[in-house]
Amino acid sequence: MKFLKKDNFHRDAFIGIFVWFFLIIFYHIFPHPGIHDIIQKVFILGLFAMSLNILIGYLGLIAFGHAAFFAAGAYTLGLFLQSNIVTNLGGFSIPMAMILAIMISSALATFIGIICIRLKDIYFSFLTLAFQMLIYSIILALVDITGGDQGLMGGFPKPPFLGIDLGKPFDFYAFTIFISIITIVMLRQLIESPFGYGLRMIRDNSERPASLGFNNQKHKLIAFIIAGSIAGLAGSLQALLDVGAYPEWAFWAKSAEPLFMILLGGMHSFLGPLMGALIFEVLNDFVTANTRYYGLVLGLVILCFVLGLRKGLLDWILIKYYRK
Amino acid sequence: MDIFALFDCIISPACLISQAAGGLKIGMLLFLVASGLTLVFGVLGVINFAHGALYMLGAYFSWQVMSVTGHFGLSVILGSLGVGIFGLLFERTLISRIYNAELLVQILLCYSVVLILDDLVMIIWGDEFLSSVGVPKVFQVPPLFIFDAIIPPFHLAIIGMSFIVGIILWFIMTKTRFGRLVRAAAVNPKMLEALGVNINLIRAGVFMLGSFLAGLGGALAASLSSVVSGMGNSILIESFIVTVIGGMGSISGAFLASLIIGMARSFGAVAMPLFTDGLMFLIMVLVLILRPQGLMGNKKQ
Amino acid sequence: MLKIDKVSKSFGGIIATDNVSMELQPNSINALIGPNGAGKTTLFNLITGKIDIDEGQIFIENNNITNLKETDITHLGIARAFQITNIFPTLSVQDSIKVALLAKQYGLNNMWNRFKAHSINNEAESIAKLSGLTKSYNTISSALSHGDQKLLDIALALALKPKVLLLDEPTAGMGPEERWKMIDRIQKLWKKTKMTVLFIEHDMDIVFDIAQNIYVLQQGAIIAEGTPKEIKSNKKVIKAYLGGGKK
Repeated sequence: MKFLKKDNFHRDAFIGIFVWFFLIIFYHIFPHPGIHDIIQKVFILGLFAMSLNILIGYLGLIAFGHAAFFAAGAYTLGLFLQSNIVTNLGGFSIPMAMILAIMISSALATFIGIICIRLKDIYFSFLTLAFQMLIYSIILALVDITGGDQGLMGGFPKPPFLGIDLGKPFDFYAFTIFISIITIVMLRQLIESPFGYGLRMIRDNSERPASLGFNNQKHKLIAFIIAGSIAGLAGSLQALLDVGAYPEWAFWAKSAEPLFMILLGGMHSFLGPLMGALIFEVLNDFVTANTRYYGLVLGLVILCFVLGLRKGLLDWILIKYYRK
Repeated sequence: MDIFALFDCIISPACLISQAAGGLKIGMLLFLVASGLTLVFGVLGVINFAHGALYMLGAYFSWQVMSVTGHFGLSVILGSLGVGIFGLLFERTLISRIYNAELLVQILLCYSVVLILDDLVMIIWGDEFLSSVGVPKVFQVPPLFIFDAIIPPFHLAIIGMSFIVGIILWFIMTKTRFGRLVRAAAVNPKMLEALGVNINLIRAGVFMLGSFLAGLGGALAASLSSVVSGMGNSILIESFIVTVIGGMGSISGAFLASLIIGMARSFGAVAMPLFTDGLMFLIMVLVLILRPQGLMGNKKQ
Repeated sequence: MLKIDKVSKSFGGIIATDNVSMELQPNSINALIGPNGAGKTTLFNLITGKIDIDEGQIFIENNNITNLKETDITHLGIARAFQITNIFPTLSVQDSIKVALLAKQYGLNNMWNRFKAHSINNEAESIAKLSGLTKSYNTISSALSHGDQKLLDIALALALKPKVLLLDEPTAGMGPEERWKMIDRIQKLWKKTKMTVLFIEHDMDIVFDIAQNIYVLQQGAIIAEGTPKEIKSNKKVIKAYLGGGKK
């Protein structure tokens, strides 16, 4: 077990594969579709929240408009799979759609990032939000392409690829978790690399790096693009899950969700946002099953965390039991 | 984008006047709400994301008073005062804890209150939207015709009322002792405290004033449209746009920006009905890029 | 090594730096003294590129660095420690030094290795040793004592392997005993690295004890320069600054 103590990529990849196998077996042992649903949702939203935490937790940049990339990924995948290209690409459609989703979110993040990164603090936050709402408005306005406020209509095919049929629940479950885990393992490598420590450096002190010969802006932009790309990936998975894309995913309230997850799970631990997604989804399921006043409960929970615990659950657990 | 429709409207006095009046109405109402937001930010350094919820409370409170008394003026006054008092409680219990907290904490706290209030009003007043309080009897008169444009006198009254409130606000902030204390508190609260001024009182007062303004906006809105949970969300976004464009902390900036947004919405609805909101966000984006401190803001905010 | 040639800077109508010229020899240790508000930190800011120069030029090893960007100037061999400690609160001493080392070597773009296991660990240890931080090597920066934080500030500058090291009041906020410890350490690392050091200091005993050259700044202008012996007997300086005698 000494191998597990080593903090390197191989160990992380091993744990990732192990978790994946575990969840696969879990699927067959506990055939409750409700639980499987929650698990895959937790991974998709967790991915979304972890991507935002690159900016909030590790870089110290409060981005309000992160859902813009989530929506971009979703709509890109949806539109691509609705188009005629699908008949030509056949089995490669879904992988191609996902790659395209990542690329488009990436490009969008580059564009928005270059403009926003120049601003500081609250102006940065507001500008990202303004861009997101602008994109929301554009989605609504281009009714012919996006379906307007109804969302992408008519669904889209999910042609099987590499023996995986995303129409089957198990295949979708296994695929989503696999992609998510791979991304999480790669994200961990990024965060624990010198690049990741560059992020922490900027977060701790934005003035000093210049006197060490370091260019903040370039670093921030790269982090912003990576965060946006992962959010786009999460969006494409969500679109595959719902076989559609909705303008609500570009609305500002959607950007609040990963924020809640980061609060609930913790912004200072790597898996904090993932835990936050778990708490959020479980809370959602539990509360909506028992009362229609979900907002009231969620609001109270958040209030407790903000005023009481003042840190996310995973952060709190780690501090209490592991760190000195 | 229907440029021709816009052009046609501008050259037609009836359309021009009625759209302009509509823009004024939207703008002035927005100014009421946004001035409260920008005031709270300028003096207390808090970005009150619950400001829209206060607006909603104003609508609900005034609707309640109206259904009990049937008196419009009373409903507006009591409704706004009610929100002012709520704001006071809100400030003393919650807001005062986050004065120097980071942005994230402020947002999360305020937004949680929005979630709670959105559901609370449904629990108290029911899920269905409440029909508008309606135009008060006094104003149920034939519309005015200005160059063939149909202008409901009530709308003019609202414009006038908001304008007067704006003047009163300006007067309070610039000519009274309270106003001077408030502006001093915005710049150097510690110094003020050292001089023996009760800074908590000032903070509570400012937040109360800001809440009152939001409530007033909501109370007036109750007469124009139906009252429903979540109605504060769109006005919140618009208030932010106004605050950013006008300059955070600047009331005159909020006035100017509200007019711009009001007109943009009114004429934008003619030229690009599907993208009216988008136009507002585009303006916000451009202002943040070209002049982040806003039209009337100071450079180092 | 470092040549400052008739440099001036004003803010609004106020002259902060007034026609300052200095020439620091390689491997020398120099002090910059003067009353508060004389413009010492401003001069540092001009040298390191934090603010732009209005008139004059600055050279390092005959490279003209006038109005270059701060990041470029750093890569040309000038490093600086700050008056108010300017460190990375959540990073440990070890991580802070490593980050500074990697920043200089353009190594923070690396996404493929692991920071914790990075080969730069050895270099970081020796910098920590040089700065006297071996004991607190794994302590989180925010938990360090004031003195150690100042040492870390200097360590970060040392990580750049500078040719010229600017120290802005390295003993600020310290009691007498701690002050001498710090100065002792500065002297040790100066001797070891053979850098050119320029430090701002208010404690005259320290200044006269270790500085080879002293520059006296008043209201943005150099009113005297020379060896400790010369400065001690300089009438202008005594009048302007040493006046009642600084303890």
